[in-house]
Amino acid sequence: MNNPFMDIARTLENKYIVQWKENGNAVIGYTCSYLPDEILYSMGILPFRMRGTGAGSTSIGDTYFGPFICSMPKCILQLAGEGSYGFLDGAVVIPGCDSMRRMDDCWRKAGGDIEGALPEFFHHLGVPHKAVDYSLTWFRQEIEEFVAAVEKHFSVKINEDRLRESVKTYNRGRKLLRELQELRNLKSSPVSGAESMAVILAGSAIPRDIFNSLLEEYLAELRLRKNPGTKKRILLAGSANDDVELLQLIEGDKAVVVADNICFGTRFHPDIVNEDADPVSALAEHYLFRSECPRMFGDYKKRYSILREKIDSAGVDGVILQNIRFCDLHGSENGLFERDLEKEGIPSMRLEREYGPMVETGRVKMRVDAFLERIG
Amino acid sequence: MRKETKEYNYDWMMWRIFEAASRVKDGSEKESRELLNYIPSFKAALEPMFSHGEVGTSYLRVVARYLDNIIHAKERGQKTAISTFCFSPAILYAMDVVPITLELLSVMGTILWKRGTSEYLEYCCEAGFTETSCSSQRGSLGAYLAGLGVDIDFVLCDSPGVCDTNANAFAFASTYLDKPFYQLNMPPNLTGERSREYHRADFRSMISFIEEQTGKKLDQDRLREILIEIEVQDEICDEIEELQRLKPNPAPVEYPLFIYATRFLFSGMKEGTVVLRNILDKVRENASLGISGIAGGEEKVRALFCYIDHYTTNFRMWDMLNDNGVAHLGGILSRQWDISSPLSLEKGDPEEGYGIRTGSLDEMIDSIAEINSRLPMIKSIRGPYDMPHMWLEDNLALARMYDADMIVYSGTPGCRNTWGMIKLFARDTEKQGYPTYIMYSDAFDDRVESWETTRDRFEEFLKVRRLV
Repeated sequence: MNNPFMDIARTLENKYIVQWKENGNAVIGYTCSYLPDEILYSMGILPFRMRGTGAGSTSIGDTYFGPFICSMPKCILQLAGEGSYGFLDGAVVIPGCDSMRRMDDCWRKAGGDIEGALPEFFHHLGVPHKAVDYSLTWFRQEIEEFVAAVEKHFSVKINEDRLRESVKTYNRGRKLLRELQELRNLKSSPVSGAESMAVILAGSAIPRDIFNSLLEEYLAELRLRKNPGTKKRILLAGSANDDVELLQLIEGDKAVVVADNICFGTRFHPDIVNEDADPVSALAEHYLFRSECPRMFGDYKKRYSILREKIDSAGVDGVILQNIRFCDLHGSENGLFERDLEKEGIPSMRLEREYGPMVETGRVKMRVDAFLERIG
Repeated sequence: MRKETKEYNYDWMMWRIFEAASRVKDGSEKESRELLNYIPSFKAALEPMFSHGEVGTSYLRVVARYLDNIIHAKERGQKTAISTFCFSPAILYAMDVVPITLELLSVMGTILWKRGTSEYLEYCCEAGFTETSCSSQRGSLGAYLAGLGVDIDFVLCDSPGVCDTNANAFAFASTYLDKPFYQLNMPPNLTGERSREYHRADFRSMISFIEEQTGKKLDQDRLREILIEIEVQDEICDEIEELQRLKPNPAPVEYPLFIYATRFLFSGMKEGTVVLRNILDKVRENASLGISGIAGGEEKVRALFCYIDHYTTNFRMWDMLNDNGVAHLGGILSRQWDISSPLSLEKGDPEEGYGIRTGSLDEMIDSIAEINSRLPMIKSIRGPYDMPHMWLEDNLALARMYDADMIVYSGTPGCRNTWGMIKLFARDTEKQGYPTYIMYSDAFDDRVESWETTRDRFEEFLKVRRLV
């Protein structure tokens, strides 16, 4: 079966972006899942979740970042420096973590050194690390300031009706992704983790209406697919992962990743944005309160219960808790997850890895195989 | 962790060492000298403090007192809270809670013990931490995770939005130890009505949390006393900072450490004021004589430390500065942001500093929230490094004011925050004419780079850049 999402997941600029740009529309890249895509989309701007896909080295990233920094922002900066993000008309840096926060500083500096590396529109969105009433007020104000900046730079206006429409479109996508997850949860899951990851990645890289149509067709095809369902069922959790190959490496011919708890994955999709409330408030609340990222300090128990729910729903045999080196937030939370999951008899493995061009496939494969043997 | 390391609690061991050390000078000179022979393991670490006369002994007393408070908190019916160095303990003293500041406890073990705090650092990893997490918390947190410290009642931190690695250590501790947790969260901007409102709302919410944990209401009179004492301490520090502008700098190289550690230990408490007053007296005396605070007496280089110091065993970083004639001008750790401080006055933005108002309860809470939001790191390492009020601007202002010859960065590999921008920072400071040295070592863990190597590289930099 043809997976229309795989090429999109493995590249940055895809044919839909080319078409979008040819129609005179702008694209804004962003670094973290806390940006409400709906807002940009309603203004005729394509939101693109930035990745380090295809980075062949980190020579530019290493010039600006210090040595003890996660390789993901380094890869993104590398690509920006090499011109691979030339299709972006703007970028939004979100302080998802310290490394990503410093992307703001490093990218601006690189922009001064390398012509064209920095998009003309560049914005820092201050997302709080807690979800309470006054942080929600702050976040809503941040969104309003962001909207004003976009309106000014791109000469566009936000429109409530179009925003409501955009919320509906994205909610439709969320429902479809939920259906995809339901298929993954089946005992004889017809779709691999790598294929699912490609779908999810495409969701943040192409216009949402097109994504919804493609996904509807794809789901119909998947429902007809037969699968004996004899492989080990794995849940992948931890640091951001946008690498379909990592999923393929884990799955091999012995396992299938039936669920995930990663921020490029299904983490932000299950809940629907309230369509009846004031749309900006509803979006602010949704993105701030529905977070499952360890950057929201002190919410471990909530995150653990969500993880447990996913494990139960997908009938998971084992959990792989991965983190990119220097990702202390996920890395340390993985330590707690491992402790608590193993206590409950759920086999878990912690896996520290590099991102992008440094991926050590041999070591990772050996560890994954050993884990699969353990849960065999 | 070795079996013998588990024999005693870490905080208890630190207390015993500092308690005994603080009494060494109680006897005659001869008695004190003889006594040092009975503590060969700690002699080299304690002698530098004794060499500073009343400043050193009062500093030892205050550290001993701080540890005594921790050890005896429970029998005195007090609650204990794990907290961080960039969190003002004043609010805890006002609410009768004993602060346990992890980074300070890590510094103690790192300076005192030949092996440093390696076993506690490792224990954190056994418990689930990443090995790349910051050593400044892990150095002592490992002891508490292993049950080798006093019982903790709750966990507080104020680094989310400033240093996520720091915040993560506290969040981890709270989950691992199953203790209540509160985080003060910092927005990227320091000034402006939105940030001010956020700081205030968050701080008020924290007070409610502490009231819930202690079962006691915030005592207005106590808070007022503490704020008044902070004003006294600020005034003393303002004068010290002003005198440090002299050439030669009259403050000995160890004083910035004594100043910031005292403020982290006993902000707003009379115990702290005693040490700060002793420091001021000595700095005034040196200034009136026109002499340098450097042990050898000759100031060759004036160095601004833009982040933290290096806490290797036996004060060897300070030895290195003394040996090379490098005056320590302090840095963001030893500065405070009251509106009358030399740095605030130099920068001239009234919103950037804090003012203390002791009228109504609301005014006092707003004041302490402002103080807390302007503590080292919390103030200037939150937003992009080159934005107004942030790291670069503050350090360039300090370098100009104190006529620095060089800027030194010392940190830990766990510091994503500064390692994410130090190269950019150094590029900018170099452009402004300040040779900037980046230490690649770990200020809390000599195993990352041996002190000998760190010293060699530092001295090489001094020579290559013709600073000496």
